[in-house]
Amino acid sequence: MTERNSTVVVGLGNPLMADEGIGLYVVRGLLEASEQLPDTDIVEPGTSPMGVVHAIAGRRKAILVDCAYMREPAGTIRRFHPDEVVSTKEMTHLSLHEGDLLDVLELSKRLGEYPEEVVIFGIQPELIALGEGLSSALQERLQDYIAIINAEVEGSLVH
Amino acid sequence: MSKSIDVNVHHITRVEGHGNIVLNTSNGKIEKLEWQVPEAPRFFEAMVRGRMWDEIQPIVCRICGICSFAHSLAALKAVEGALGVEISEQTDKLRILAYYGEQLESHVLHVGYLIAPDLLGVKSVVPLASSHPDAVKTIVAAHRVGNQWMELLGGRMTHPVSFRVGGFGKLPTDEELKELRKSLVDTVPKLEIIAELVMSLADKLPAFERDTEYIALMEPGVYTFYHGDIGSTDTSDKVNIHEFESVVNEYITKQSTAKWARWHRDSYAVGALARYNLNADHLLPLAEKTAKAFGLEKGCCNPYMNSVAQVIESVQVVEHALQLIDELLTAGITYEVPHVEAKAGMGVGAIEAPRGILFHRYAFDDDGRCVSANCCIPTNQNHGNIQKDFEALVPQIMDRGQDEIRQMLEMLVRAYDPCISCSTHFLNIEFV
Repeated sequence: MTERNSTVVVGLGNPLMADEGIGLYVVRGLLEASEQLPDTDIVEPGTSPMGVVHAIAGRRKAILVDCAYMREPAGTIRRFHPDEVVSTKEMTHLSLHEGDLLDVLELSKRLGEYPEEVVIFGIQPELIALGEGLSSALQERLQDYIAIINAEVEGSLVH
Repeated sequence: MSKSIDVNVHHITRVEGHGNIVLNTSNGKIEKLEWQVPEAPRFFEAMVRGRMWDEIQPIVCRICGICSFAHSLAALKAVEGALGVEISEQTDKLRILAYYGEQLESHVLHVGYLIAPDLLGVKSVVPLASSHPDAVKTIVAAHRVGNQWMELLGGRMTHPVSFRVGGFGKLPTDEELKELRKSLVDTVPKLEIIAELVMSLADKLPAFERDTEYIALMEPGVYTFYHGDIGSTDTSDKVNIHEFESVVNEYITKQSTAKWARWHRDSYAVGALARYNLNADHLLPLAEKTAKAFGLEKGCCNPYMNSVAQVIESVQVVEHALQLIDELLTAGITYEVPHVEAKAGMGVGAIEAPRGILFHRYAFDDDGRCVSANCCIPTNQNHGNIQKDFEALVPQIMDRGQDEIRQMLEMLVRAYDPCISCSTHFLNIEFV
């Protein structure tokens, strides 16, 4: 209902499930580090991937930050576009509570609402279990992640 | 009958167990038929112990990414009950209004994204966006309104930050409420289109019935989601929410690692159909008209019809929300400062979450620190009933093909709109 900026940074995850919440830690850090990012909204759909459809609709650019099993060492951050990966997540479609971000992005595409550019930053977790706070592997690199996303927003990242 | 059937639908997550359908038959005899589920959300009950009264809601809203408002409001009601906090009529109305946003969002999501693909014979909503673009766009538009509605009143599309013990941290302005009102008026025709779509496919819902006890909140004269006592289709007696454990009666069976619930029988059902069966007399006019168009009778015992009840409830919450907004605008939004003092006490909050009645109970010490918690979620209450439905359904459909049987069992589980694996969502990918 409010005016939307052309770029959106979306942080996904649950802050009570250790590294699963990394997306939220990063976007909250981004908010603290930079009082006002130009023409950018920062949103937290939490563990509701379907909220991403609405958050990115009609934007020029969407930057998604999420915990991702990528077969990399814990703490690794990788920047990629959705078409560079395939999901290996097993889904039964028994419950709304299953969600796959890549499915959601495909839906957005088919609805004709997909941004000109979608960039995902995946961060390999060390620990997903009930508990507050990140594992040391991710906590030690949190400021790096925030700086990387900040650079992406400012368009200064060299690809 | 000599054939054997082997159905195994496995839901695997890294941290939360599983939700599996297992059916094995041999020579026409059922050897194994189980709905296997994890026990949730007991982790969160442990997490809130030792935390202060104002930390409870922000923690328990993370139990679920879809019904986070329901968990938030059940928790706030319980904490306020424990601390003896009175809330204003304005807060009460705004909370119900906020909560209706979640009902709409969740129901549309379930019917549109999970049930419609079943009825149209595809695996998910993604291919439907290409084959039925107008229908999916309408569904997404209605879902989006629910999300924006929640964002306005909760401060965030999910996991609300505006709610406080005793009131709100941020109130909507009159202008924002007027804008919401306009958006809801525009949503009514979209819901009519969704209802027509479901109606045109309703013959694909299996005609299976099993006499069932249904349980929901009941409030005189109201199709309630928020206030009232606990009612049942098996009795005219009502139970105060403070005695919810005497209704839930959790018990352990050999068949399941999750506890089952029973009141007057071995199991009961909660959710939209339960609410409908107990409260349909109090639907508002548009919702009543929708119910009549579907021909849904009070007393329906077909679990697949839960999705139809969700469509009717989507209309009901928008219709009632419009009334609430008018009442709030007429009275004018007043700035209020909640007054809360820590003290020892125990409180219970009950709410009709989209997927059924939800109970939270908390106890606090003299400093307002939580000493015990019990969150009884609707999905857990439904597990036993799903199993009983399986046991009644499978002998009726044993002569069908294995894929059709699997599909009917999956659709049955989906009809209950279960909350499984809802506190995580992470990506699992390979680079190509």
